[in-house]
Amino acid sequence: MKKGDIMNPDIAKWQKQLVKCIRCGTCRSVCPIFQFEDNENTTARGKVKLLESVSDGKLDLTPALQERLFKCLMCKACAAGCPSGVKTDELFLNARKTLVKKNGLPLLKKIAFTGLRFRRFFDLGLRMGATFQNLVLKDAPGGRGKQPRIPIPAAGFDTRRIIPTMADKPLRRQLPSVNSVAAPKARVAFFTGCMLNYMYPEAGKALVRVLNHNGIEVVIPEEQCCCGTPAFTSGDQETGQFLAEHNINVLAAGNYDAIITGCATCGSALKLEYGEIISDATLQKKWEALSEKVYDITTYLLKIGYDTDFGPVKATVTYHDPCHLVRSMGVSKEPRQIMKNIPGLIFQEMKEADKCCGSGGTFNLAHYELSRKINDLKLNNAEATGAEILVTGCSACRMHIADGLNQRDSNMKVVHTAEIIDRAYQSAKKGGK
Amino acid sequence: MDLNFLAELKNIVGPKYVMDAQEDRICYSFDATFRDYLPDVIVKPGTAEEIQAVVRLAAEKGVPVYTRGAGTGLSGGSVPVNGGIVLVTTRLNKILAIDTVNYTAAVESGVITQDFCNAVDAAGLYYPPDPGSIKTSTLGGNIAECAGGPHCIKYGVTRDYILGMEVVMPDGSLVQVGNSIDGEMSGPDWPMLLCGSEGTLGIVTKMTLRLIDKPPAKQTMLAIFDAIDEAAVTVSTMMASGTIPTTLEIMDNLTICAVENYLHIGLPVDADALLLIEVDGEPTAVAKQAESVIKVCSDCGAREVKIAKDQKEADSFGLARRSISPACGKINPTKISEDATVPRSQIPAMVRAVRELAAKYKLKMVIFGHAGDGNLHPNILSNKRDHEEMERVEEAICELFQIALKLGGTLSGEHGIGYMKAPFLQWEFGKTGFVAGRNIKAAVDPNGILNPGKLFDSKFYQEE
Repeated sequence: MKKGDIMNPDIAKWQKQLVKCIRCGTCRSVCPIFQFEDNENTTARGKVKLLESVSDGKLDLTPALQERLFKCLMCKACAAGCPSGVKTDELFLNARKTLVKKNGLPLLKKIAFTGLRFRRFFDLGLRMGATFQNLVLKDAPGGRGKQPRIPIPAAGFDTRRIIPTMADKPLRRQLPSVNSVAAPKARVAFFTGCMLNYMYPEAGKALVRVLNHNGIEVVIPEEQCCCGTPAFTSGDQETGQFLAEHNINVLAAGNYDAIITGCATCGSALKLEYGEIISDATLQKKWEALSEKVYDITTYLLKIGYDTDFGPVKATVTYHDPCHLVRSMGVSKEPRQIMKNIPGLIFQEMKEADKCCGSGGTFNLAHYELSRKINDLKLNNAEATGAEILVTGCSACRMHIADGLNQRDSNMKVVHTAEIIDRAYQSAKKGGK
Repeated sequence: MDLNFLAELKNIVGPKYVMDAQEDRICYSFDATFRDYLPDVIVKPGTAEEIQAVVRLAAEKGVPVYTRGAGTGLSGGSVPVNGGIVLVTTRLNKILAIDTVNYTAAVESGVITQDFCNAVDAAGLYYPPDPGSIKTSTLGGNIAECAGGPHCIKYGVTRDYILGMEVVMPDGSLVQVGNSIDGEMSGPDWPMLLCGSEGTLGIVTKMTLRLIDKPPAKQTMLAIFDAIDEAAVTVSTMMASGTIPTTLEIMDNLTICAVENYLHIGLPVDADALLLIEVDGEPTAVAKQAESVIKVCSDCGAREVKIAKDQKEADSFGLARRSISPACGKINPTKISEDATVPRSQIPAMVRAVRELAAKYKLKMVIFGHAGDGNLHPNILSNKRDHEEMERVEEAICELFQIALKLGGTLSGEHGIGYMKAPFLQWEFGKTGFVAGRNIKAAVDPNGILNPGKLFDSKFYQEE
């Protein structure tokens, strides 16, 4: 073992967390992956021990170590459940970065993340994707979405998989950049994120309508980019930093009253994770001021005292807590509280609502089988409630859950929290009171 | 590791269940104690037959076998101190039967304790042993270490619930010991010998456990004391009074403050000690027992006895107890949890001794635990990276063991012996006792294949 690695400042940074682990094994009882793999190398304490071995000079930053550090959903359940308060989420993210610096990224990720940095090129690529998706994807039976024609393992496409049809026109091209109302109470920026923009523009539009209904002017800054999470959770610090800096500058320039997100992951990146990624001191200051203004849509509605004059929505509904809402942004009461105010809506809590759905961002591309097994537990719990609609605040969870529901021919629909709220306002307008 | 040997292991359990990459060996080099020993290979058999084959092969080649459940032990019982094979039992995870007529259950040894308790609860019965690691630990591990828990003061420890077991012997043969008939036995109590033997005599693959009725009602109380001596006297007086609580847990001032800092639930930080007391049984009996508890506490000098007015308050008392570990972790990262246990009548003396030890070795020691069992769980809060302090810790532990034994106690109330306490075992058994233990081990496992370096291993024998 080279002394250089031990002196590596990244590794020195791990110490604070490493010493806290008492190896009690509580992480075994909360890790969704361990539940299926039954392997100590997937537990937080196992990985902590591996990193401790690196820091003690007993293990190199090997590709095998990298593989084990990446077999993780980053769902933060181990961090939340740790009796000693080891910040495993921060630690493992940092370790991924250190490992990628040493061993590099898989080729496909390298290409994809480089693409992310060129906003217009990325946008063009995905819009072309909408046009050409039929070359590699075919319509899934019953108009449920798209299914790969042939397995494409490098992209994580199993032929069973059903992904939503990409929007012909992304959200940001469908809506004007300023969505004004008469005498606005506040002027906010809507950070759409990639999923609402390219995959679920209807949910994005619903979110804007809900804010407008409450007298909020919504600006959709044109220059916004991908939040960077896929890059920095994959250890690509350079791309992550580039995107973070770009977005901070774009959002700070507008001097908005608030930054609203409808994506759990973008929200937690903007509000929390950017702090760990950016290094420049002036930018750090800029981000700190910005971070306080970042709200998930549901938290913001409660903050402004939203209009509770809902019309009835006759449906039985359950809710899935996205990891990045419940454990990063601390949002879990808010969506439930709002939904319970909607007349006619029967809310049925599911078992283990705050357990990861198995998507894990890019995790499900590399480990589709495993992420499907984890998702199946979520679907069983959701279906046991008898609900016909599953509401959630994260489009990545939505895509993964909808894929699973489609594969088991379930009638349950998945919608964004903003869509169910929008439906209640529409219903009031139609005089359905 | 010899490639042929690896190939043979893969042949027995399937390649997927044999791991020898350095990264994986590191992950199986420890339990919840603080030393690490690298195994050469990890094997995860799925059946008793596969375990037999692995043990036969290991015996033939003279490779040690360390049986491991969830690796949550607090004495190092499953740690592979001599390398060799770590044999993981978690794939034997089936609950085979819960018999509500005969009050028994048949389970495989890799079943997680909590999963089993939930299944028993759903069947309307109760399995009391509740170690702190219940959510993670396996029943096999509980047997190997004879695990206890807060409820064991009234209901007894793991040993008291074993009726029979299926065991792979060190030569790879499979035997049945005990049976499923509660209270009946032909010949000596073999399960009693195997319980607490830490996998040195055999590998338990299946067991029949005894179940009891669920207590219909309970009442939780919190007694506050200005002097820990009074709390200690309360414990021994209460056990003598004939009222046996379900739970009788002590917390000293350091612990109270740590938990209050952590939870902010209004614990009395000015108190020198707290007793968390729970009684259960038929509603009328519960009322009577609660009355007796309050009287004993008051007679012994309690400043106040709080009675949980509803389930919510009872839960908050329970939460305070369960939060001790994380709360103390915030003080110092390395928490060395001891479980030297003394007769209940000696609790006041033990409390004083622990306090003196903390002062003598300048260590942060907290007292909390199953006081009713005489198990005060003296915990040392230190930092394993501070080598000078760790030396003081080792000396203090040594002296703690001597004190406990002098008071008529034992090295372990529930964590077992493992690698941590094996060097002290002869103090408890004496030379003759240790040799008797060593002879049993030699008769059952002449080649020393199973879990060498633990319990009555010859290397711990002292000529004096």
